[in-house]
Order: sequence, then structure tokens, then C-alpha cells
Amino acid sequence: MFGDCVLIVAISICTALLGEGLTWVLVYRTEKYKKLKAEVEKQSKKLEKQKETGADVANKKKYERQEEKLKTNNRDLSFVKMKSMFAIGFAFTALLSMFNSIFDGRVVAKLPFTPISLLQNISHRNLGGEDYTDCSFIFLYILCTMSVRQNIQKLLGLAPSRSANKQGSGFFGAPAQMGK
Amino acid sequence: MAPRKEAQKATECGDSNMEIFSKALTAGSVWVEKDDFLDVIYWLRQILGVVLGLIWGIVAMKGFLGLALFFLINVAIVYLYYSTFQNVDEEEYGGSSEILKEGLMTSFSSFMVAWIILYSALHSEL
Repeated sequence: MFGDCVLIVAISICTALLGEGLTWVLVYRTEKYKKLKAEVEKQSKKLEKQKETGADVANKKKYERQEEKLKTNNRDLSFVKMKSMFAIGFAFTALLSMFNSIFDGRVVAKLPFTPISLLQNISHRNLGGEDYTDCSFIFLYILCTMSVRQNIQKLLGLAPSRSANKQGSGFFGAPAQMGK
Repeated sequence: MAPRKEAQKATECGDSNMEIFSKALTAGSVWVEKDDFLDVIYWLRQILGVVLGLIWGIVAMKGFLGLALFFLINVAIVYLYYSTFQNVDEEEYGGSSEILKEGLMTSFSSFMVAWIILYSALHSEL
């Protein structure tokens, strides 16, 4: 059981590294991405500074124009990323179904709590019995990936900067929250 | 021109990792680069998450009490760290929720992984 857990952690580290590696090959190293990213970061920082100092009425038009530009750039950035996201999505679905069949019906860990019924679908997936503290492969894998992936991105400096995150919402995100 | 650009880049990026580390351990440091401070909070949270997870696993903490205690301790420590130890102005970072939120989910998942693995290794008969 302990061996299974360690294996799952190792698998999630490997897949996270693989994912980042693939994204690096497909996206991060391309000139277009680098240029766009630098641009977005610069603009986000600038906008944030302007917001702090309080853009007065005369500057408002200029401010809005910059905001618009940032949004366009952010959208372009998401499009560039999307290509690799699809490739990775396909690769990982295949990988996951493979691991799923390896760990099929196996209790990999014992949960120290009973998950709420909504989560039991995942935590008790493909497991027999009524003991809901049994943990399936997929639950532990998801948890591992959630922590490992972000930490690896952060360590390698690939995570998007905070100001860019805050200002631009990207393609899928919610609209940017400007001012409260 | 190239060296000048490099130098400019260095100042823009703020301090080196070692400097950030020593600043993080010194009370009341001045944080020029906001992101550096948030990074410190982020990594503090990660370490805290894993350490709490290991402790919970060893003492066989069970049920939702374990989850609630984790959030309570995690948020309390971060709050104490920034408000009393570092004494930063939370408004500069967009309110206290912005700091308290930083890296919380990642920390939570690291905590869960550590807790579950250790708990099942030490306290279950499977």
C-alpha cells in the first residue's frame, strides 16, 4: 500500500514534468510566446501602477486604451497556449486510462476521513465495498497533481506572473476585475 | 548596451533568492518587490502544508476536525507572520484576503497527500 502511494506520487511528478516539457517544446521556447508574455507582463505592471496612483480623468482614455491592448494581448497568449493544451490533453487522457486499468479495483490508501458524497464518486471510483474511507488511484493522483504541478511551475519559473493573472483574465477566465 | 540591459534587468527582478530568504527570516523587512513577499508566503505555505500533513499522519488525526484544524492553523500562522512578524501593510497587496489566499489550494493538496499517505502507511491494516 505504501509502495502504491509512493508510485502514484512518482507518476504525478513524472507526468507534471512531461507536461511542462511538452509545453516548453510547443510553446514556451517560441519567439511569439516570449514576446507576448513580456508584453503582457510589462503592461500589467504598468496598469497596476497607474491604478495605484489613481488615474485621473484626463488619463482615463489612455488608461482604457491600454487596458484594451492588454486584453487583446492576453487573448493572443491564450491562443498560443491552446495548441499545446490540446496535445497534452490527448496524451494525458491516454496515459490516465492506462494507469486507471493498472490500478483498477485496487485500494491504494486509507483516507483519514469520510469524503462528502459528492467526492465519493472520485475517491471510491472502481472500488468495491461500502467502506468509503478506501481511496482509489484517481483521487490520490488528482491531489498529487494539484500540488506537484503548481510547485514545479513555480520552481521552474513558468507560472504566469501575479499581476498578469490579476489584470488580464485570458481567454477562458472571468472578466478582469478593475477597481472595486 | 548589453551589459546595461542586464543590470537593468537585475534591478527589475529585485533581490536574489538568498537575499529574499534572509529577508523572510528577519522581522519587519522592507519589501520593494511585492511579488517577492507573496512568493515567501507561497513557499511558507507549502512547507507548512507538508509538515502539518506529516504531523496529522503520525498522530492519526481523523475526520473533518483534521481538515478544519489545518485551515485554522495555516491561515493563523500566515496571518501572524505578515501582520506581527513582517508588519506589512495588507492594503498594499489588495487586502488581507489576497495574502491569506496565496497558495492556499496548493498547500491544501500537499497537506492532503502527506496526511493520507502517512496515515495509511502507519495506521491502517491494509
